[in-house]
Amino acid sequence: MTEQGETGEAITILLVEDDAPTCWRLQDALVKAGYQVRTAGTLGEARSALGNAAPRVLLTDLRLPDGHGVELIRETRLRFPDTEIMVISALGDEESVITAITVGATGYLLKDAFPTDIATTVRDLVAGHSPISASIARFIVRRTQGTAQGAAEPPPGPVLNTARLTPREIDILWGIAKGFSYAEIASHLGLSRQTVPGHIKNIYRKLEVHTRSEAVFEAVQQGLIKL
Amino acid sequence: MSEIAAKAVVTRARRRLWRSRILPYLLLQALIVTATILGLQLLHPNDPEDFAVSAFTLREDGTTRPVTLPHFTASRYSLADPPLYTSAFTFRPADAGSGWSVYLPRFSNAVEVAINDVIVLDSRRDAVANRPDRNTPEIATIPSSLLHDGANRITVRLLVWGPLKGFLDTIYIGPDEAVRPAYETRTLLFVTLPVVFSAWQSLLAVILAIMWLMRRREPVYGVLALGMLVGAVQAFVPPPIPPAPYPRLAAILLASAPIESALVVAFAVLFFGWRWPRYGLLLFVPGFAILLVGLLASQPIPRIIFLFLGVPTVGICLMLLAVIVTRAVIKRQDAASFTFGCAVTIVLVCWFHDMFSVFEIIPEERIFVTRLSYSAMLVAIGAGLTWRFARALNQVDSFAGQLVARVREAEERLTASFAREEARARAAALANERTRLMRDLHDGLGGQLVSIVALSERGHEGATITDAARAALKDLRLVIDSMDDIGGDLMLALGSWRERATAQLRPHDIALDWRVATPQGLPLHPELRPWHVIQIVRILDEAVTNAVKHAEARHIAVSIETLDGAHGPYGVISVTDDGKGFALAVNGASASAGQTARGLRNMRSRAARCGAVLDLTSDASGTCVRLQLPQRFPDSDAAAG
Repeated sequence: MTEQGETGEAITILLVEDDAPTCWRLQDALVKAGYQVRTAGTLGEARSALGNAAPRVLLTDLRLPDGHGVELIRETRLRFPDTEIMVISALGDEESVITAITVGATGYLLKDAFPTDIATTVRDLVAGHSPISASIARFIVRRTQGTAQGAAEPPPGPVLNTARLTPREIDILWGIAKGFSYAEIASHLGLSRQTVPGHIKNIYRKLEVHTRSEAVFEAVQQGLIKL
Repeated sequence: MSEIAAKAVVTRARRRLWRSRILPYLLLQALIVTATILGLQLLHPNDPEDFAVSAFTLREDGTTRPVTLPHFTASRYSLADPPLYTSAFTFRPADAGSGWSVYLPRFSNAVEVAINDVIVLDSRRDAVANRPDRNTPEIATIPSSLLHDGANRITVRLLVWGPLKGFLDTIYIGPDEAVRPAYETRTLLFVTLPVVFSAWQSLLAVILAIMWLMRRREPVYGVLALGMLVGAVQAFVPPPIPPAPYPRLAAILLASAPIESALVVAFAVLFFGWRWPRYGLLLFVPGFAILLVGLLASQPIPRIIFLFLGVPTVGICLMLLAVIVTRAVIKRQDAASFTFGCAVTIVLVCWFHDMFSVFEIIPEERIFVTRLSYSAMLVAIGAGLTWRFARALNQVDSFAGQLVARVREAEERLTASFAREEARARAAALANERTRLMRDLHDGLGGQLVSIVALSERGHEGATITDAARAALKDLRLVIDSMDDIGGDLMLALGSWRERATAQLRPHDIALDWRVATPQGLPLHPELRPWHVIQIVRILDEAVTNAVKHAEARHIAVSIETLDGAHGPYGVISVTDDGKGFALAVNGASASAGQTARGLRNMRSRAARCGAVLDLTSDASGTCVRLQLPQRFPDSDAAAG
């Protein structure tokens, strides 16, 4: 069985993970699901892999031996805007995931996820459904609350600009954070169930820091790049 | 050494000190007495002796005899047929640049002067002149048409109202510019000066009264204000001339002096910090007796009473004052009591002077100076008090300054200690949090990792180790997740739990039915802490794990609702499964029975730690775990054990 994109070609995935067993595990699950997977153990390897051709999906760990996954995500985002990017995380902690989202990642994949879940997540991603976890949604809505209250000092954690989110998008995030399904959220908010994924995609785009200088500034702010 | 001997030593020392202090003071007072007497002599105004007329013929009670002025007549109580003094003087118009005047330096009580049988002066029309305690002089210009060249006749009717004897000092008749300066000097001394003093006194009365009104605790100001008020009224109310239209007023005037002097004694007692003696009120008795008599009886009885009761009272008060002040001087040795003492001595000397003059011990003179010196003394006291008040204000200012500085210091100390306390509290909270985190990690992650190690060592492979490791990861995520600030909204924690539980159940092909009654879900709990969240999520985890592992359920439903209780809304979370129930499990599988029992015990103790109520019903058709949340989560982890 081979997963195919809209053009009928096999979907290519670049998997960047320095821990070999984890890498095998994810690769196995994806290959079994019919994806074409290339792997890289370091930032350097990933860059050279990207030099050849743009993958449809980039799955990357954040802590790599020779650098930070955020740099890779940002580069990929700039060079290949059509590539879907997802972070691989052991714990799905907001700190690293939110940082990745601001440079262009869409959600995260838990390293210990069941193989079927891994395949499903990637399939949804390619289909244009951007998954967002309850804890990430929670982090974002808590941050919108923090800015709404006009707190004097910036809240801890990564810098996140929530100013561009519409009240409706924030309502959707609240629903996700509280564990409601898309259908429940849609019925609470008087929406069509089908429009919810689109809203979520918009949320991801709005949280992204767009220009290169903005990205560098954010990275410096977060201490990811030392000047 | 006996106590008595010691006491004797102390007494002797005290006596020596007393003597060492009283002797210089008494010597000083003797000096002041001498100075006062000399001063009084110097004060005596000089009169133009060249124009003195002192040889008179007195017709009194039908008899006529020659007299020389100054002259005392007998005391009398009737104004009818007053003593009539007659004399002659020589007018020399060549001497007169201007007109001539007749000048009477001192008389009592009133005079009616006629030149060549034409009345030129009636002193009764001058209110000030009617005061026997003021030594008011009189002057009258003689119209030139009345005067003849050469001998002229002057007749003086001396109007006397007892009990004092009548007195007529030498009369001066001469050119106005020659006699007027002497008159002006006397007016200044005996008319203007008392008015100035009285004005001053009434001002002080107002100031002291205000002070007393604002500081009721210090009656000393009130007493002095009252004294000054009485004095001021006495000075400004015009005295009645007999036959007076308002005889009652005279009573008040007569009573004023003894009442005033008693008030000053009271002031001194209070001022020097003595307790007011119970019999002290006796001092006011003479004054009020005079007032009473004055109001009831008609003249001249009140005047007689005044002379024999009022005047001695004033003297007694002055002597009392002298004693009080002397004791104060010995005790306090300060400037205020010294000054006060000297002033009292001066007034006392003046009082004796007046007594001597009344009883004609000092011959040929009747000038009363007590009232004048007394007024001066009161003014001095008032000025001293004002000075003291100003000094007290300064002290208050500096005290306020010190207070501000101290308050600032205290504030700084407090801030520092508060900061220290805050840091300590923060450290304690952090330590608490760390302890809880350690316990939570130990409870879950630690045990699971140990179990993984044990399984690996025994060569187990596959599912068991995987399960243990997954459980460990799940627990780690739970701990991390519950550390997040959820702002008291438990729904936010349940949202991520739902994701984890769904992922956990998917491989088992078990559906997780999630029913939330309202969009809000559960009430907000601002007091919700991470460790509460951990306990609740662990209870839910345990319920789900039991349903999967032991009850072999196919469906698990989680329902979340808010109910209204007696004290407000509370949340209820129920986990219902369609498994075979744990009662069967207990009977069926003995290996898992112990585990289930322990799991149930754990759930109950966790619920108790959060103040929640756990209800568990189980039968063959399924199990329902109902967790009723408290209206308020407990602060302390008291139930932890």
